[in-house]
Amino acid sequence: MDAVAGHLDERGAPIISLVEITKRFEGVVALDGVSLDVAAGEVVVVLGENGAGKSTLVNVMIGALQPNEGTIYVRGQRVSHQDPAAARRQGVNAVLQDFSLAPSLSVADNLFLGREPMRLFIRDRARARRDGREAMQMLGVNIDVDTPVLFLSRAEQQMVEIVKALCGRPGALILDEPTATLTGEETRRLFEIVTRLKSEGWGVLYITHRMEEVQRLGDRVVVLRDGRHISTYRVANVSEARLIQDMVGRPLSALYPAKVSATTNAPPVLRVDNLTSKDRKIRGVSLEVRPGEIVGIAGLVRSGCSEVARACFGLIELDQGFIEIAGRRVEKPDPRKMLHLGLVYLPQDRRGEALALSRTIEENVSLEALGERRYSPFGLVNHAAVHEAVGAITERLDVRPRNIHQPVVSLSGGNQQKVVLGRALTRPRSVYVFDEPTAGVDVGARQAIYHHMHEICKAGAGILFSSSDLEEIVHLSSRVYVMHEGRIQTELHGDEINEEAVVSYSFGRDSANRGMLRASN
Amino acid sequence: MQATDSRNNPVVQLGDGLRNIFAKTGALPFLLVILVVVFQLANSRFLGRQNMVDMLHEGVFLALASLGQMFILVSGGFDLSIGSNIALTSISSASVMAAVYGAHPGAAGLAIAAGAATAVVVGLVVGLVNGVGVAVLGVNPFIVTLATASAFQGITLLISQGQEVGGLPNAFIMGVGSGSWLGLPIAGWVTLPLVLGLYVLLAWSRYGRYIFAIGSNAAAARVAGVRVGLQVLATYVICAVATAIAGFLLTARVSAGEPLLGAEYTLQSITAAVIGGASLRGGQGSIGGTLLGVVFVIFLADGMDLMRLGSNHEMIALGLALIFAVVADRQRAKAVAAGYQKRLISQSDPATEG
Repeated sequence: MDAVAGHLDERGAPIISLVEITKRFEGVVALDGVSLDVAAGEVVVVLGENGAGKSTLVNVMIGALQPNEGTIYVRGQRVSHQDPAAARRQGVNAVLQDFSLAPSLSVADNLFLGREPMRLFIRDRARARRDGREAMQMLGVNIDVDTPVLFLSRAEQQMVEIVKALCGRPGALILDEPTATLTGEETRRLFEIVTRLKSEGWGVLYITHRMEEVQRLGDRVVVLRDGRHISTYRVANVSEARLIQDMVGRPLSALYPAKVSATTNAPPVLRVDNLTSKDRKIRGVSLEVRPGEIVGIAGLVRSGCSEVARACFGLIELDQGFIEIAGRRVEKPDPRKMLHLGLVYLPQDRRGEALALSRTIEENVSLEALGERRYSPFGLVNHAAVHEAVGAITERLDVRPRNIHQPVVSLSGGNQQKVVLGRALTRPRSVYVFDEPTAGVDVGARQAIYHHMHEICKAGAGILFSSSDLEEIVHLSSRVYVMHEGRIQTELHGDEINEEAVVSYSFGRDSANRGMLRASN
Repeated sequence: MQATDSRNNPVVQLGDGLRNIFAKTGALPFLLVILVVVFQLANSRFLGRQNMVDMLHEGVFLALASLGQMFILVSGGFDLSIGSNIALTSISSASVMAAVYGAHPGAAGLAIAAGAATAVVVGLVVGLVNGVGVAVLGVNPFIVTLATASAFQGITLLISQGQEVGGLPNAFIMGVGSGSWLGLPIAGWVTLPLVLGLYVLLAWSRYGRYIFAIGSNAAAARVAGVRVGLQVLATYVICAVATAIAGFLLTARVSAGEPLLGAEYTLQSITAAVIGGASLRGGQGSIGGTLLGVVFVIFLADGMDLMRLGSNHEMIALGLALIFAVVADRQRAKAVAAGYQKRLISQSDPATEG
């Protein structure tokens, strides 16, 4: 305990502390003597690349895994052979990346699952609903407690998870990469809730690999790498560069490559004209992408950014409008046709829409190009040609592991994304449409992906990408379309592209006022 | 330190080795060994030459149906109409054969050819009906094939009025049904090129890669430009034609068109495919594994026969085997995952750090 008490001086008593925790899997060390504590009223951010041991750390804290060595203290009491239920009773609550909600049950039923309020021998549904509604209101969350969870968006489900965690005994809340799938507005709401919990005396352990969240939320930041505790800083005293260096173990040159700009006067490779989808998620969207430029689409969740990308590839039914690729007009796009015309789409949902997880790297990378005669003459696969082509691409993208006969399920998020990118690179295209190119991807892979996007542009293709990562939008795009409620609110060029402008337009600021606002500045 | 200790420990090594075999092939090799030992001890005729030939004779029908079933499992569906398909083929092809043979009593060859053509046409129709239901109408394969199983059985009973169809050419019954050449039954000679063809399709063709991808993730296959509906449709047709050929050969074996032929093949084919490594979750399966699965099912049935346990006991054993196969499949998925996780962690090991 002394080691822990040492650097506690100015903070409250720790709610949970880990001392010299080591966790091995089959002789491989996942956590190596990691010590860490979370005090009441503070937010500790844990930073680390994929595979740094973050998830193992969380699982040890909530009792889902037993450490091989080391001690866990909850409120100063030594605990051993913890299980998740016991941890919750002691006030260690977690919202993990994989939610534990029952989709067909209502929000209220989920909140009290396993500890339903009873009245004699009958579930007191009225009370569950009342209590649930109260808890929701307290956090400023506006979700109807009677809705079955499956009808909620991922962000809303996460809110339900948080409320569920907060219904337990107050103490520590662990959030594992909570913003990985959230967009601007939802992230802001989440941050408000975290700040509020902090002021109410909760200790929050916040796991992320997004650098900007450290500054916005954290009091202290802990960096893990390869299962080891690398450093702990007060957020106020540390630079981003330092944190990145600690995370990747070497100095990282600037994350973003220099901006590209369009080849002048070349006709657009992609033109979208007055596109309206059947479900009205996008309305009257017109845009264009010229060769050699990276065009961003930004906006809040449900503003339709992602839907524009999907619509270009024919994954959403259109009501009106058309798409033009290199001058060829398409009114009813479908994936096959668009691929044929030279447009490739990289989905946001890697596991859902991009990868055949149980199949090998080779099969996944070659899946789309396989139709070409040189890879499958007369319908029979030319294994040597496929192997060579995929080998060259995975080498260029530095996909780990090198063995391309491993199933992609065994790859880290960053490497999986490289496999998706690799598939797009199997043949030349004129337009690349990325939907959230770096969601759930570690810093190293992120840099590699940006680098390759840059290369694609230099080769003369155009890129359209939608992203909820503001930093990415601002640093990568040569032009940005900002969307609001399914329409394009404005188009930003050059110096106009900054976080403030993107945010304010995505909240619906009218582009007609642009001149005035600028004048008043 | 800890890692090197366990690497040198022979017991750990043996355990790891067994787990690797299990991860690669499933529980099947272990089970086959157990079956052979038990049945051979119970009746020494089990591994005798005559019994092996008998089992081979039984095995070819199941092999065709199971390979078809495995194709569908790979693409992420399954087919419950296999039994009805066999019955419908049997009645249809026997009726056509009897009619042709009755009209031209001298032309046995013509009658057999007409019967075979009928079987293939029945297979095509059955496959298209199932395939359209699943791939075009987008109905769950469980419902589609359960429904068509009932419909095809009804059609079979309507055509046959519940009666056997006899009057088949002798050349068909004696030749195709129980004849053999170079020690291999004629049915085996018919099946062999089909198995090779299916192997090429699954392991070497573009179509094979596509159905593995579809079974693993249909949405992803679509995004990669694969015509998912078409490939799935093709899979149901391939399965149904293979099954119909099995039905035709089986008709020769039982020497008449029978309206209730082959009912047990639905469950047996799923069992053989799954125990042979095909996954009910789609995206996994192989020809070799499925054939081993067929061997398992045939050993089980035959061995129990030799032990004078009736077909009722066989049904119980088969049901248990299927459940076991599914549980083992899940365990194997875990073993595979554990193996990769281990490798993944050791790749990100800090060993390369400078």
